[in-house]
Amino acid sequence: MKKTITLEVNGVPETAEVEVGTTLLRFLRDGLDLTGAKEGCNEGECGSCMVLLDGRPVNSCLVLAVEASGRRVTTIEGLSKDDVLHPLQKAFLSHAAIQCGFCTPGMIVSAAALLREKPEPSEDDVRKALAGNLCRCTGYRQIVDAVHSAAAEMRAAASVGGNGNADAGKPAACEEVTA
Amino acid sequence: MPSDLDFLSPTSVDEAIALKAVPGTAWLLGGTDLLPQMRAGRKAPGRLVDLKRIPGLHEIREVADGGLSIGAAVPLADVEVHPDVLDRFPLLAECAKTVGAWPLRQRATLAGNLCNASPAADTAVALLALEAEVEVASTVGRRTIPIREFFLGPGLSALEPGELVTAVVLPGASAGFRGSYLRLSRRKGMDLATVGVLVGKSNGTLPARWRVALAAVAPTPLRLRAVEELLEAKGAAAASEAAEAARLACRPITDLRGSAEYRREMVGVLVRRGALSLG
Amino acid sequence: MIASGRIGTDVPRVDGLEKVTGAAQYTADLKFPRLLHVAVVRSPHPHARVLDVRTEKALRMPGVRAVVSGRDFPLHTGIYLKDQTVFATDRVRFVGDPVAAVAAETPEAALEAAALVAVDYEPLPPIFDVEEGIADGAPLVHPDLGSYEVVPWIRPKSGTNVCNHLKIRKGDYASALAGSWRVFENVFRVPQVQHVPMEPHVSVARVDLAGKVEVHTSAQSPFTVRHLLAACFGLSHGDVRVHVPYVGGGFGGKAGINLEPIAVALAMRCRGRWVRFMVDRHEEFYATVVRQGLTATLVTGVDRSGKVQAQKMHYLWNCGAYGGYGVNIVRSAGYTCGGAYEFPNVEGDSIGVYTNRPVGSAYRGFGMQEIHWALEQQMDKVALEIGMDPVEFRLLNALGAGKATVTGQVLDEHAGRVDLCIRSVADEIGMDPGRQKTPYRGKGIACAVKAPAMPNDAASSVVMKFAEDATLEILIAGIDYGQGLMTVVAQFAAEALDIPVEMVRVRGCPDTDLSPYDWQTVASRQTWATGNAVLRGAEEIRRKLCDTAGEALGVPASELILRGGAVVHEATGRSLPLARLVMGYQFPDGHAIGGPVASATSYLPEGLLFLDPETSQSAKPVAKWTFGAQAVEISVDPETGQVTVERIAACYDVGRVVNPGLIRGQTYGGIVQGLGTGMMEELLVDTKTGRAMNASLMDYKIPSTEDVPAEMVVDFVETPQKDGPMGARGIGEHTMIPTPAAIANALYDACGIRISEMPITAEKVWRALKEKERAASEAGVAPAVPASVTA
Repeated sequence: MKKTITLEVNGVPETAEVEVGTTLLRFLRDGLDLTGAKEGCNEGECGSCMVLLDGRPVNSCLVLAVEASGRRVTTIEGLSKDDVLHPLQKAFLSHAAIQCGFCTPGMIVSAAALLREKPEPSEDDVRKALAGNLCRCTGYRQIVDAVHSAAAEMRAAASVGGNGNADAGKPAACEEVTA
Repeated sequence: MPSDLDFLSPTSVDEAIALKAVPGTAWLLGGTDLLPQMRAGRKAPGRLVDLKRIPGLHEIREVADGGLSIGAAVPLADVEVHPDVLDRFPLLAECAKTVGAWPLRQRATLAGNLCNASPAADTAVALLALEAEVEVASTVGRRTIPIREFFLGPGLSALEPGELVTAVVLPGASAGFRGSYLRLSRRKGMDLATVGVLVGKSNGTLPARWRVALAAVAPTPLRLRAVEELLEAKGAAAASEAAEAARLACRPITDLRGSAEYRREMVGVLVRRGALSLG
Repeated sequence: MIASGRIGTDVPRVDGLEKVTGAAQYTADLKFPRLLHVAVVRSPHPHARVLDVRTEKALRMPGVRAVVSGRDFPLHTGIYLKDQTVFATDRVRFVGDPVAAVAAETPEAALEAAALVAVDYEPLPPIFDVEEGIADGAPLVHPDLGSYEVVPWIRPKSGTNVCNHLKIRKGDYASALAGSWRVFENVFRVPQVQHVPMEPHVSVARVDLAGKVEVHTSAQSPFTVRHLLAACFGLSHGDVRVHVPYVGGGFGGKAGINLEPIAVALAMRCRGRWVRFMVDRHEEFYATVVRQGLTATLVTGVDRSGKVQAQKMHYLWNCGAYGGYGVNIVRSAGYTCGGAYEFPNVEGDSIGVYTNRPVGSAYRGFGMQEIHWALEQQMDKVALEIGMDPVEFRLLNALGAGKATVTGQVLDEHAGRVDLCIRSVADEIGMDPGRQKTPYRGKGIACAVKAPAMPNDAASSVVMKFAEDATLEILIAGIDYGQGLMTVVAQFAAEALDIPVEMVRVRGCPDTDLSPYDWQTVASRQTWATGNAVLRGAEEIRRKLCDTAGEALGVPASELILRGGAVVHEATGRSLPLARLVMGYQFPDGHAIGGPVASATSYLPEGLLFLDPETSQSAKPVAKWTFGAQAVEISVDPETGQVTVERIAACYDVGRVVNPGLIRGQTYGGIVQGLGTGMMEELLVDTKTGRAMNASLMDYKIPSTEDVPAEMVVDFVETPQKDGPMGARGIGEHTMIPTPAAIANALYDACGIRISEMPITAEKVWRALKEKERAASEAGVAPAVPASVTA
């Protein structure tokens, strides 16, 4: 059965007709061509499909598109704006925290949600927050390091911002996840 | 997923209950169990009634006796960090944070974890230990099910068809229990428990009251009153005796996560450790 | 002349930006018009005769566009041994064996139609274990084995379940054993495990109206896919085109050919339509491929000095239902059977056995982690039994310059230094024999060695060309599925031509119509083979640029060098930027010389020689060896059996570190994957039904962030590889080889127990500890020396 949904995806209002059984993941990928969230298991075990739903990290394979109606969705595509990367994206690059890249979008999205909740996470905080994002390539070490590094950068930027130096060029969608 | 699947999102409990009267209707909370089960063909509801738009089900609020009522739609991620939970019912937070992974707990709910009636439900042991009450509503009316009567077998609960869990209530009398949820699993993060043992002790009351509850070692989550009494009578000095009693009381099976024998022995080890840590 | 600064430095991944932004496209991300979806009818029996397959009902279902089965496509495929058809024809050999497939307008319709395909089976007795498989009178999994096409260096035994047998006969094993001071025999086992790439297998195919086949696929080897598809369907290579976009991990599971034939078979029956075959995570576990199981029996005879004199290695590989690829693992494990050690007298047998289990195939390490699990525990046991320090015992017996491998190849001084790797990790973990011991805390070490296991003529090639602004484009067909190939290719080229890495674009998602040939991305061979081809290409480019610039500047080309993006004549200080040369140089009077500068170069390993068919002796059976070692410190909870890896050190002789960040990533990743197979992974097959019992991520656990050791220390030795690009040699697979054995050895050090069958689960440790306690109490004494217990 089809339902009409209205939601905001990466800051853009979207209205669409979807089958009730369509997951948010499939809607984002097939309906909106946002293929950054990946299908790795379709049962909430791998985390490759992670997106933010009203700022919370969720496995989009376990959310029906109809459940997301009226809500805000942020995907990996919404974390950067034109050429301005999210600090996590920069840190993943500089820490060699990427290999095949399939888990990377989900990993960054989960980490973004963590840093929003805990700007200064401990090693244990990072490991626990990312335990639902499986990676078979990296051994996680450089990913965890990248998250710490991005956290430090974001704290520094926030304190500079507090002194009246507005974070110029910061992508709009970042506000939502880093604010 | 069937192409004629329907989806409804009522905004009141009464509306939700009325909708359930149509055969083939399933409640939808976090969906973290239901959706994989539907995809695997183990469940095939014709319509889903989403409970997450019912305002009252999102609350964690204090109740008259000083306890807490946790609405059915509150995600576990909120339960585990809620200041009142951490302050007065820390055992629930201990257990809640072991369910799945953090993002999964943004969707998974306490009520959903209960309704599955999984023998391995981590939060169930806390609720057993804290003598929670499950508030349910149906077209017949509302009632409260004491948690000790809730679990009937693997996947079986005392819920009647059409009954909706609206909240789980932690009684004020259970506030202040401290302790730990000791849990073995194949990997450290995001895994079902092979064995889960909760040992708690009241804070400030004399004589101390104890709580011992187990996950994944019987057809239902278990609370071991006899073991608690032993500890209440003799204190942590009786940890080994308590361990032995718990070992004998559990009824584990062999499955992919571990053998019955190993599980039984681990119940003993973990009960002893839990008791000693509270000595 | 080689500039410096781009090799050995942390150049960020050239594909990184695409991967962090979500721009990188994997096969399932590609859009196709009016895509058809696939469902496969799979055998529910581990072994059965297929009597009849009826597809009419399925074909009549609305939305169904094609239904195909075994009778439609009888040709065999397989990279080394052609023992598999697209669909089972007369016989199914494992639960999951494809029998038929449906292409339909929706995934739901495809599934429904697949359920309408009726198959009549006559069950046959299955075999699951290698011991059953080699027994006389065992049911034959492949009665037609003798008729299969096979490469000359693989030796299946007709009328048996043995799909390959490699024999090593070096020196005089029997006499050496008889003359040994002490002899030790032990058996070790490794179960089947799955690769679990985060991206499941997926292939999309179309046969256009003119009959040309086009495939987009998540694969490690586009040209091998093309080659095998052509053979399988009787097509010209010229009419098969394979694209590989970004690949979400493979670890060997996407080597050779996998889903592609089924997608193509369906596409042939609905020309003009794109057909996508995407397995779900459950099918990924049991119906793609798995790592082979191993039963290893080792006999070691030592003299009084601790030198091994006689070594017997008997490896029985559980190849599962098909061995097309696995037969070469059997071979590789044979010629590497002695690991990182010099054994003067050897009897080695590596035997591949068909069973009715999921299909064994390549998996990171290609048999090496499995044999090292056995060999490195054996070395430890022998050392301790004769009262030697395991580190000293390893150093005494280690391979090195002037010493001969089991095939009689004498290593030279460029071969790599396992001794330095051993010392590095032993020092890091603190393994000195006089160390203070803490109960239930232990330290263990294991070595690793591997050579590329590939045909002797496995080649790589590259095309290098310039854009008008002197951006250098490099076309490769090696796949960067995470290891960093695109980045190191850019580094090599930038270094050789002294241009910024940012001016290089590596076209790393190949298309067989346009990309230069590459055999396969396997065997830790890409940095080395493609890297060599790139350096050759850079040299050709340099020569062309200098020729044109020499003419333009009126100086001899031999006096010109490339520096900072220009061709420079140092004596006069004159120079020309590359942008003025790459499309040809135009003189002030208007006449032009040169022309678009490009190169096409290749690399093929030189001087490799076949093994002797009876003894496997060969002076150069493989291109290179990479040696390394890992040491770990663990703690054991004696009551629960839980093992925690506290620290781990890894050291490899990689010849040359090209990119420190990437190579550390390879090492961390290998360690953690090794920890997974070592401690938690096993694909369980129910021996009553043949079904995989834990074919999901819920039931089959791989390590998550929380399982990673608190400390991983990574070190590298750089003994330049003589034929390696700037001295580099392969490392991708080696990083996961020694981890499980090192943990097993640490477990013995911690509490005197041995787990002979991977994985080392808490319950196995708990049982072994209980058994040890029971044995001690029966003997009436507390064990002063740790007793050896086999769980």
